[in-house]
Amino acid sequence: MKHENKKILYIVIAILVIFGVLYGLYSYAGQEAFIRTTLSGLTLGSLFFLVAAGLTLIFGLMDVLNFAHGSMFMLGAYAGWQFYTNPTFIFGVLPLVLAFVAGIMVIPLIKPELVRLKLSDSWQKRLPKLLYLAGLIVGVLAVLKFDIAGLAETAMVAIVTTSTGALAELSPQEPLLRFMWRPVLLFISGALVAAGVSKPGDRAEITAPEPLKNRLVLPIILLVLTILFTFVRESASELVLLMNGNLRFALAVIVATLFGFLLGALIEITMIRPLYIRPFFIVLMTLGLSFVLRELVQVLWDPLAYQMVRPPLFAQPGRASTIAEWLANGSSTISIAGVTFPTYRLFVILLGVVMFIFVTLLMTKSRLGMIIRAGVQDPQMVEALGINVKRVFTIVFALGVALAALGGIGAAPFLPVQPMMGDQYQMQGFITVVIGGMGSYVGAFAGAMILGMARAFGDYFALKLQLSPTIAEASTVIIMIIVLLLRPQGLFGKKD
Amino acid sequence: MTELTNTNEYLLSVQSIDTFIGQFHILEGVSVNVAKGSITVLLGRNGAGKTTTLKTVMGLTPPRDGKVIFDGQEIQGKRAFNIANLGIGYVPENRAIFRALTVLENLKLAERNKGDLERHADFIYDLFPDLERLSKLKGNQLSGGQQQMLAVARALVPENKLLLIDEPSEGLAPILIQQMMEAIRKLKDTTTILLVEQNFIMASQLAERYVIIDDGKSVHSGLMSDLVLNQELIHQYLGASIQAPISASEA
Amino acid sequence: MKNIWKKDKGFVIFVALAFAFPFIFSLLGQTSLTEGTNKFWQGQLINFFIMAVFAMSYDLLIGYAGMLSFGHAASFGGGAYTVALLLEHVAPDILKSYQIFIGSTNITEIVILIVCFLAAILVSILIGLLFSASAMRVKGAYFAMLTLALATALNLLARATDFVEWTGADEGMHGVPVPLWINPTQNRLTFYFIALAFLVLAYILMKRIVSSPTGRVIQATRENEDRARMIGYNPVTYRTLAFVIASVFAGLAGGFYALWTTSASPSMTSGVTTVNVLIMTILGGMGTLVGPLLGAGIMQIFSQFLYTWFGARWPLVFGIIFVLIVMFLPYGIVGTWRLQGFKIKQGWQRLLELTKTKETPEK
Repeated sequence: MKHENKKILYIVIAILVIFGVLYGLYSYAGQEAFIRTTLSGLTLGSLFFLVAAGLTLIFGLMDVLNFAHGSMFMLGAYAGWQFYTNPTFIFGVLPLVLAFVAGIMVIPLIKPELVRLKLSDSWQKRLPKLLYLAGLIVGVLAVLKFDIAGLAETAMVAIVTTSTGALAELSPQEPLLRFMWRPVLLFISGALVAAGVSKPGDRAEITAPEPLKNRLVLPIILLVLTILFTFVRESASELVLLMNGNLRFALAVIVATLFGFLLGALIEITMIRPLYIRPFFIVLMTLGLSFVLRELVQVLWDPLAYQMVRPPLFAQPGRASTIAEWLANGSSTISIAGVTFPTYRLFVILLGVVMFIFVTLLMTKSRLGMIIRAGVQDPQMVEALGINVKRVFTIVFALGVALAALGGIGAAPFLPVQPMMGDQYQMQGFITVVIGGMGSYVGAFAGAMILGMARAFGDYFALKLQLSPTIAEASTVIIMIIVLLLRPQGLFGKKD
Repeated sequence: MTELTNTNEYLLSVQSIDTFIGQFHILEGVSVNVAKGSITVLLGRNGAGKTTTLKTVMGLTPPRDGKVIFDGQEIQGKRAFNIANLGIGYVPENRAIFRALTVLENLKLAERNKGDLERHADFIYDLFPDLERLSKLKGNQLSGGQQQMLAVARALVPENKLLLIDEPSEGLAPILIQQMMEAIRKLKDTTTILLVEQNFIMASQLAERYVIIDDGKSVHSGLMSDLVLNQELIHQYLGASIQAPISASEA
Repeated sequence: MKNIWKKDKGFVIFVALAFAFPFIFSLLGQTSLTEGTNKFWQGQLINFFIMAVFAMSYDLLIGYAGMLSFGHAASFGGGAYTVALLLEHVAPDILKSYQIFIGSTNITEIVILIVCFLAAILVSILIGLLFSASAMRVKGAYFAMLTLALATALNLLARATDFVEWTGADEGMHGVPVPLWINPTQNRLTFYFIALAFLVLAYILMKRIVSSPTGRVIQATRENEDRARMIGYNPVTYRTLAFVIASVFAGLAGGFYALWTTSASPSMTSGVTTVNVLIMTILGGMGTLVGPLLGAGIMQIFSQFLYTWFGARWPLVFGIIFVLIVMFLPYGIVGTWRLQGFKIKQGWQRLLELTKTKETPEK
């Protein structure tokens, strides 16, 4: 029980230090500046947490440091901004993506038949390559002369203020009859790739197949969705733009998060999974990936910074004195203990706290959380219990990326949306994770809040001492080094 | 010595497997047959390859060569979770329970279908009454013996046709060894067990059949009742391990 | 020298070609040695030489010492800033008040330049030590993260407006007064040969270091730290040493880069610079030293063409190539080539053995 006492002692000391520091800052800065800076710090901290939570979960379970996490944050912002401002691009590309994915997803359907084929060894080796090539050719044919730049432009030029104004921004698209063959070809392309992946003729892959009904479900759902979205690609954007702004924003948040989840799963399956045996290269891979994604975004949307319009709930000029008044009027600022503070930032704080609660519940109450906590210690034994650990890895990676993407769309209404926007947050996410301890989501939250406060008060002091804010930013590295020297495993990290 | 000749009567049949860990050739032709409803024990010196044999069956260290047939189905090369889901429970050595999870969570995690734990709770808590009392404690707060019991109990949560148990007596106090033996004996009524055991006394009292593994090869197998009488064989392959049967104290 | 020829035929040929390049080019194209396209391509090659040294120094770190540092740009930028700052703010004052002569030749500018580079060495040693002191206790992903964080901090300092009078903040320093005799605009051919000499010297030195006993211990710590410790070598010491050596070469390359561009800007210390040098190293092949050189060359030449083909977004193509290489060609060009060569050799040997046994069937 001595250990327990020590723990309590540490907690008491920590609380005393925190209160001491806060009181010191309070009496130095005065009430107004203190509250304002604290709230700014919490806002930053919330965003840091959303980035760091994914990093820490992914690292804790599979020892992967995702250097593309900042890009995921950035992509989340772009996806949400697109959806909110002008979803033409999203709905224009969606049928194509769905068609290809539907093609890929026929694997469980065709694999049991394909592996039973009798093929000579040389054909067994050659056939997948030929299938990939055919898939690539068909895929390229499918997107030939597809005006993706034109689609991307739609949001760039959109100035959405009112829903009627937005409709004017809708640009005419390729006629349906010409567009239609693109998803068809992409489905074929995906199916060809799927056939290649299935390793035709490889008898070692023969397993007892699941009942046909189960195998049919996913491809059919995807196919139906593909067809649906092929037909509604224009009317859907119209529908979205006519929506109430707040609802559209809520949907944009969901879309961005979902996009992050799917992208994360895709990245894990195709790029990370083959490299678990060479961990050194995973880091290189994610770094290269972030580079590619950043450039890709610049190809589509130019290296410009966009400002996403705040949803109506946070947009009306004026200051609300109570939360009820804010909700009723949609004021852009609110008075908290006499301090004027932007309402949207309150929303960001709320988002961070809600996601912390969500992650906590997930980790402590759900079966997935149980598996993750067990897998951190011994993934082999988890597998030996009959749990598909690879799939859990994919889910956790996707979840982490989804959190980062959520952070991105959360930040989009008050940060410029631009290709480098994630880099700074990735950096601060790393520092957060080091401070909090790798693998600990509680540590990520504590670290994020500490860092957020440090940044906010750093800016405050920089202003007071007539230094530039970059100095405050650079100084967070010093916090990290101090923590590492005192407690290498981080505040909440466990010693190995 | 009477040998079963019909492979159909074996629940598990390991046929001359070769396993590498990194560049090291750990198993060089191990064959083990486990008859349905029996306890078979793998004997041999430290580092002979007994644990690797269990891990190879489980799919944790897949074999490069040879066959593993479980319940009439070839399972070599399958992923570990698939193998487990066929109905094989694995109790690793060194009490590899999940330290960050509570006792209850450790058991819940082993469920393959919803309600597995409820169905077998009475049976499990009957075997190991301590676990019910400690269910809220975290794995790292348990004593060595309690951890070992939890590790065995975990393999009993789902319906398993075969249990692979690695050194259940390792580092246990004599009284706990007795309790563990009782438990394993009771398990025999419902499942088949492949056991790795250094403690020859315990092994000889539990198992009906034995396989001796030496230097990565299975060198001898037969009925336990024959082996106990064959002092020469025991000395040749098991040597030191019989000298100190029940002396290890609880860590 | 004979030794080098034996071991490194390729490199000697490369140096000879690079040495003769301006002359051959002017002979073939009937152009002036110091003008027009010849001058342009000399410029391209100068850039390549400098980046090659930078890439090789990075290879020392990640290929030989096995330390995945994402902060290598800090040393490069540190060197660049040191040289640029001294030339911009200190050298003019000294030149005004002091002159140094050997006999009747004024060597003041040469002395100043040497001092600049000594200072760059000193600064990069300090950066290396700072990084080592704070990051050497951690490994793997932590190490990568820490080095990245430290480099980012330096990058932020370079951009900070607090030192704008000195560093020019976001703008950086441009038009740094580089002495006339080595000025890359007026006397490019001189600069070309000096840069080439720098590359050759750096290559020979690094090769020496890698094959020295110290270099071997460094590689041993990469493979198995515990074993190195058991034999009695302190891995931390050797890793620190490797870090400082790599940092010095990167700092020198940075110094040259500042001379070549007559500037120093925050982008030289940024993550993009590290990614560039990483791509060169991976492209050519880690742990080969020649690989990064090749990678730097390919990147230099291809970036020209890719720029004309793809416009401002050419790095996208490079990024995709990088990702593909990491996935399918993890040993890079040189590494894969050597591996193939080894396999072919093995194949030949097997074939020979086969024919031998066929000739002597009684065996």
